[in-house]
Amino acid sequence: MTGLNTITLLINAVMLPLALAFLVIILWNDVRKELNQFFAAFLFLVILWNGGSMLAQGLTLIDPQSELIKPMIGLMELGFTGSSVAVYVLTAVIVKAHTRRFRAVGLAGLLVLLLFRLLPIIANAPSSFVTASTGEFSYQSQPLLVVFYVIFDWGTLYLLWRYRRKARSRTVSVGIALFVIGQSFGFLNPELQTFSLSINISAVSALIISFAILGQEIISPLAERNSEVEAIRKVNVAITSQTGIDTLLNQVATLAATLLGADGVGIFLNSNDQLQLAYAHELPNNPLQTLPVSSGGLAGTATQTLHSVHLDNYGREWRGLDDLPFARETFGSVICTPLIHGGEAIGALMVVAAQRHGRLFWNEDVYMLELLGAQAAVAIVHNRLLKEQAELTQQVEIARSQLEAVLDSTENPVLAVDRRFNLIFANPAAEDLFSIQESIARPIQSLVPAGVLPKNSMAVLHHLRHHQAYTYEVAYSGKIYLCSLTRLGQARTRGWVAVLNDVTQLKELDRIKSEMVRMTSHDLKNPLQAAMANLELLQDDLMDNSDDEVWESVKVIDKQLQRMERIIRGILDLERVKSGTLSLEMCHPSRIVQNAIYELRERAADGKITLQTQVAEALPEFACDVEQFERAIINLVENAIKFTLPNGTVIVRAYEQDHALLFEVADSGVGIEKDFQTRVFDRFYRANQKGTEHVSGSGLGLSLVKAVVENHRGTVWLESAPGVGTTFFVSIPIVQVKQEAYE
Amino acid sequence: MKVMIVDDEQAIRDALGRKLKREGYEVIACQNGLDAVRAFHSERPDIVILDIIMPEGMDGLTVCRRIREVADTPIMMLSAQAVTEDDIVDGLNAGADEYLAKPVRLNEFVARVLALLRRAQMTTLETDQRYDDGHLSIDLHRRQVYVDGKNEHLTPTEFKLLAVLMENAGRVVSQRDLLEQVWGREYIDDVYYPRVYISQLRRKIERDAANPAYILTEHRVGYRFEKQPIAPQKAL
Repeated sequence: MTGLNTITLLINAVMLPLALAFLVIILWNDVRKELNQFFAAFLFLVILWNGGSMLAQGLTLIDPQSELIKPMIGLMELGFTGSSVAVYVLTAVIVKAHTRRFRAVGLAGLLVLLLFRLLPIIANAPSSFVTASTGEFSYQSQPLLVVFYVIFDWGTLYLLWRYRRKARSRTVSVGIALFVIGQSFGFLNPELQTFSLSINISAVSALIISFAILGQEIISPLAERNSEVEAIRKVNVAITSQTGIDTLLNQVATLAATLLGADGVGIFLNSNDQLQLAYAHELPNNPLQTLPVSSGGLAGTATQTLHSVHLDNYGREWRGLDDLPFARETFGSVICTPLIHGGEAIGALMVVAAQRHGRLFWNEDVYMLELLGAQAAVAIVHNRLLKEQAELTQQVEIARSQLEAVLDSTENPVLAVDRRFNLIFANPAAEDLFSIQESIARPIQSLVPAGVLPKNSMAVLHHLRHHQAYTYEVAYSGKIYLCSLTRLGQARTRGWVAVLNDVTQLKELDRIKSEMVRMTSHDLKNPLQAAMANLELLQDDLMDNSDDEVWESVKVIDKQLQRMERIIRGILDLERVKSGTLSLEMCHPSRIVQNAIYELRERAADGKITLQTQVAEALPEFACDVEQFERAIINLVENAIKFTLPNGTVIVRAYEQDHALLFEVADSGVGIEKDFQTRVFDRFYRANQKGTEHVSGSGLGLSLVKAVVENHRGTVWLESAPGVGTTFFVSIPIVQVKQEAYE
Repeated sequence: MKVMIVDDEQAIRDALGRKLKREGYEVIACQNGLDAVRAFHSERPDIVILDIIMPEGMDGLTVCRRIREVADTPIMMLSAQAVTEDDIVDGLNAGADEYLAKPVRLNEFVARVLALLRRAQMTTLETDQRYDDGHLSIDLHRRQVYVDGKNEHLTPTEFKLLAVLMENAGRVVSQRDLLEQVWGREYIDDVYYPRVYISQLRRKIERDAANPAYILTEHRVGYRFEKQPIAPQKAL
């Protein structure tokens, strides 16, 4: 067997550097990887075996009596036994038939074995090998060791067969099988002298395994990187193509299927915590199927935990709910990765291999799918946002066009200016009115005549800061407009809007109404004059007549005529106040109060009512139309007297409060019931209240008061409690008026 | 005393007429403006009571102006139209001495007629005061006023007003005093009378009615007549 021996040496010589090189490469590539570690251990032991065998053979050839042969044989034995264990462990790692503590156990096992093998060497125990002078080894069969080898070698073969689908590379499987067979040769029959052959076979198969693992761990990932880059590129293209969501999902699914060699791909999307199968590639698709995220399906779990789930056999390993019909019967290896965007799962991407004949997914596939999932998530969200944005834009556009249509079709001119008073909007009516031609963004002052703008713009802006709107009248191009100014913008003023209402017709109507009132009152006054004059003549004639009943009738007629006159006068007074301008003069409040009291002293005395005044000292003079204002206060006091029972009191007060002049007319009268309080200022309104039937009046007195007070920019209100009395308040803002305003 | 009543309402004419007759006046009644102007010329009444709105032809204001063209006869407007002070001012500007709003009590009406007649009858004043500064010349006794040598025609009320102011030249005459002295006690509340008549007067005697030199307004008090330095004599 000299030839064989030489071959053995040769193979050993080739094998050793190669194995060493592989060892370095694999450790340099990634020392933390489990497979690499176990492979390195395996390779190391094979090197020991081969190295020991080669050195032992070599030494035998040089000097068969050398003392060194024995340790070398020990080394070889160590490598042989160790590699037998190591190949089992490596196989277990390759087919993933190992548990979490497997590595520790495996390493510990190897360590124990090493010690077990080292001890005989150190103790110089008799070797189980006999070395011939030719360098041949002859193996002294040791039944215990054979059992040991058989257990591990057969265990390895069993693992290989049992998990054959999980071995990624067939070459690795073949190499391992060959290695085990080769090793078995060594101790099958010592008589056959096959140990060298066993070494050769094992060395070659170790090289085969190394090649395969190197290819799997280093070469093919490098090659795959290209396709990964390609995949990312494709997804990116899909994102940027801005196609519809269906097209996008189709692209993602197709990519996932092609990249991972999957038989089916499902994309689940989450809406309101319901997972819906949004796209199915080669999967049973039930479009109505939605499952709550928390239902416990694989997709739901991935979505909830935000981690990918990787199963080798869905039917056997998945303990949760089925994700799809027939999933348990048909799904083999499955990876489900959540589609995460902004820290939240928007859905899940699931790749499925068929239970029969389907491939098995690896961790690399998980990374790949996660990568794809991340891209897909971005794409989907992007797509949704785009869609939402498009819808929003459309809605805004619709709203804008509707608003524009409304503004275009309205006859009211509408103008808007920004904070710098540049025109930012004018509807067609406004453009027509002011002959504005595409002059947007020009100062408003240059576009409309000065008479149209408010006179004291600073005061108006100040007013608008605190009030909803400011309204003023504008006379322009033969028409009268009521211009209403409002602020633009919510918290911060962005500009102002002016809406002009054509009130020419209303003004005309108002004028006609005034005319009507004048005509009517004229037509009423003449007959009244005639009736009153004749009644007086009749009274003169009846002077000597003592018929009480006749006198009674004459008195009634007189009273009724007077009442009629009062009503007519009331209407005309009101009309005058409402239409007339004020002739303002500075007047002291006490003068108004004194005059009113003086005017009504007799009426108060008739009703046995005490009139009192409380006018604060040092009150400022105020601007008012004395005649009108006096009339208003007189009306209030007159009113108070009317509704106060004999022996009551009416107090007129005047004082200053919060930059306003307050007039108060308080009575101890019947009071006004809550329901009537808001209406007493209405024209012709007379409260139908108990205890007031005896009171006569036109129902115009208080509306005149209101009109006068409002003409003076004041307010009038009342406080009243039935049975206690009523207090009317008139508040007039104190304004400094220059002397020139007089007359 | 002849009183002419012009009103389109027969009932009013009759009632007022009856009352006046009872008080001893002679009454001429007209139912429209044209009749009134004619009757004025033929009858020469001592006082005219004028309605303003009359449906046919001339209205009261026109009649008033027509009469003023030829006579100083006191005229009392009696109208149902008065709504605003402006209406009253219009009437007074047309030359009326008095403006009463319908409906009016007969007793008050008669009292006003009497007061107006009394005012008009004061043809001569007890004073013989004169004033002449070259531009304006006033002879209270002869009831003559010359402006730049031209005889200016003043109504009795206007003249009375000017006389009161002139008698108190340099002193402020309050509105109340003016009303009492010129129009009579009954008129104390008719505050717009002086205002209207003062502006009428200014238009007649002042060089520039907008910037008066003779009759000055004292804010919130009344009016004051101010004598002017004698201007160089112009050729008459």
